Amino acid sequence: MSLAKFAVAAVAMSVSLTALGAGTHGGGHGHSAKSGEPGKASDASRSVTVEMYDNYYEPEAIEVKPGETVRFVVQNKGQLVHEFNIGTPDMHEAHQKEMMMMVEHGVIQGGKLNHDMMEMDMGNGQSMKHDDPNSVLLEPGESQEVVWTFSEKGNIEFACNVPGHYEAGMYGEVNFN
Amino acid sequence: MKKTLVAGALGLLLPAIGLAGEYNLTVDRVEIDTGEFVKEGVGYNGKSPGPTLRFKEGEEVSINVTNNLDEMTSIHWHGLILPFEQDGVPGISFPGIKPGETFTYKFPITQSGTYWFHSHSGFQEPEGAFGSIIIEPEGREPFRYDREYVVQLTDKHPHSSERVMRNLKVTPDYYNREQQTVGEFFSGVSENGFLNTVKDRLAWGDMRMMKADVEDLQGFTGMINGKGPKQNWTGIFEPGERIRLRFINSSAMTYFDVRIPGLNMTVVQADGNNVQPINVDEFRIGVAETYDVIVRPKDEQAYTIFAESMGRTGYARATLAPEEGMDAPVPGLREPARLTMADMGGMPGMDHGDMPGMDHGDMGGENAMADMSEMDHSQMSGMDHSSMQMPEGGASDPFYAKGSGLVPKAANGGKFLSYADLKAQKPLYEEREPTREIELRLTGNMERYTWSINGVKYEDADAIRLKYGERVRFKFVNETMMTHPMHLHGMWSILDVGAGQWNPVKHTVSVQPGTTVYMETEVDAPGQWAFHCHLTYHMAAGMFRKVIVEGGPDSTQAASSEQFGNVGGGV
Repeated sequence: MSLAKFAVAAVAMSVSLTALGAGTHGGGHGHSAKSGEPGKASDASRSVTVEMYDNYYEPEAIEVKPGETVRFVVQNKGQLVHEFNIGTPDMHEAHQKEMMMMVEHGVIQGGKLNHDMMEMDMGNGQSMKHDDPNSVLLEPGESQEVVWTFSEKGNIEFACNVPGHYEAGMYGEVNFN
Repeated sequence: MKKTLVAGALGLLLPAIGLAGEYNLTVDRVEIDTGEFVKEGVGYNGKSPGPTLRFKEGEEVSINVTNNLDEMTSIHWHGLILPFEQDGVPGISFPGIKPGETFTYKFPITQSGTYWFHSHSGFQEPEGAFGSIIIEPEGREPFRYDREYVVQLTDKHPHSSERVMRNLKVTPDYYNREQQTVGEFFSGVSENGFLNTVKDRLAWGDMRMMKADVEDLQGFTGMINGKGPKQNWTGIFEPGERIRLRFINSSAMTYFDVRIPGLNMTVVQADGNNVQPINVDEFRIGVAETYDVIVRPKDEQAYTIFAESMGRTGYARATLAPEEGMDAPVPGLREPARLTMADMGGMPGMDHGDMPGMDHGDMGGENAMADMSEMDHSQMSGMDHSSMQMPEGGASDPFYAKGSGLVPKAANGGKFLSYADLKAQKPLYEEREPTREIELRLTGNMERYTWSINGVKYEDADAIRLKYGERVRFKFVNETMMTHPMHLHGMWSILDVGAGQWNPVKHTVSVQPGTTVYMETEVDAPGQWAFHCHLTYHMAAGMFRKVIVEGGPDSTQAASSEQFGNVGGGV
């Protein structure tokens, strides 16, 4: 896939995610529902390493400027599968249902991901690929990058939506200043 | 942070200059008001339940216990790993605490989590002699919360425990209101045919069990933190906060099914050990077990904590609310569960082949397995189900007999916690093959209210001898119609849920009727320990063993003295 095509696909994804966030937010705070969009690594002003443990992040809060592009280097240092996902609380809640399905179908099994299962066609053109650009899902020992351009101020968290993890407190705050 | 670590390390090397805390408890006659009736009981520091003791991992504690009763007493620190002389079981760990005497317990705190303490003398525990223990870990916890509450459950009976035991001995179904009636017999005839119904009844008669023996003690008032349903214990929160609820079941006899309508609960700890977080709508808490859950009420409203007894004969109720005085609807009790033929699958001599016409599909409308067919799979077309985990909401549970009438279902149709869901957050021991297996048949004769292990009650039994350093696999075979929460003192019970190194580590393991459950124990604590069913009246009737661990790392070997005096539980 060419970079341009990837970017188009990524933007399309982020649009659908944004729509989802706004849709469930009830229009309460208007602008706060958007979490930003995939960024280009070359635009990244800095790199932030986020370590994932069982079941928490280090650090548990990051400071960003509105519009800033940050390159996150996400490392899973735990013994369980973890996710790093940038979004609003509503987006996380919606995503938790998808992740629950992944557990029920054996895609996420404690410390392992069943990659074959992720590719499988679930009907209606859906799969459990987990390839949204605002997140990575990592097995223990894995490391991946997420480049994200934060759009504006809002209620944004990075979170692990593996069932039970977010609820138990595996999230971090994104503070704008 | 570094400083704490250094202090912790020093504490381990030189306990004398490590963290040290001194605590004082008095054992007192107290008055217990359930809102339904007022009763004299036993408590600590003038109250029942007693205080919450807060320890810190790495601390060396001294606890001065003063006996203000006119009888012997003792305190057992339920779930704590400690030298056996400090374990508080009269006749096994020490002689007990005489009236007027102050006994000082001293032991290092080597673990963290939610635990409890209770008397191990006579019937003091069901009379109210219990409290809670919270141990903060040295490092950070694998979860976050904004506030926490202990939610300590009990089943308060208007009769004194001595009287309950006498009544059960004379008339075992004294407190069983749910027996089948003649009318039910005839409705059984019309549904299942005369012959099958008669055979069913004969089979139950053979087992000397009443068909509705889900609970052998009814007529209690469920209490939470010392408050009855009308008195409504209330925990305050601010919307959006994560609240850690530390559930402890300090009941004499009652299993509770716990839910908080409107809130999802994330189970993060069982019996003091962290588990991989699991979201549930409801869970069953066995006698002596603890479960820690995290809830996050987002709305400015009250929520009811509803704990319904497993047999649906009583309940405890409390409230989470933004302010004192608010409350939410209290659900009604669901239809009582009924044991089925499947629940007596473990009974010896029960040969199902002798019962022609026994069709397991006919076993009552409440037959839990039948509901599997109602699961909506339409959303999952084309999926390979072979690798599926436990289906959410399906009323099947590998820890209940197939077709059991006891399989719990969530009131809202959602997820009910199963032992099969419990996975250790972090394995405590390296996995290895057990060195040997010990079979323990859980046995009883309901008609004479005798309860035993391998058909032998405590006073007639030899101790179970284990060797320091071995890993023993215990095989529990429940040949009775009742659930037994088996509690091994001093060493962890690694419950086999089929998860290998992720098997959860517990101190109390429930064994359902007609099932076989395995647990493994790393024999790493020298001395002599109690091992028993935690249902008060079963323990008192003899479902109890002494475990002697032979050998040890140094001179801490078990004293071979057989008896210090009368053992706990009124045996």
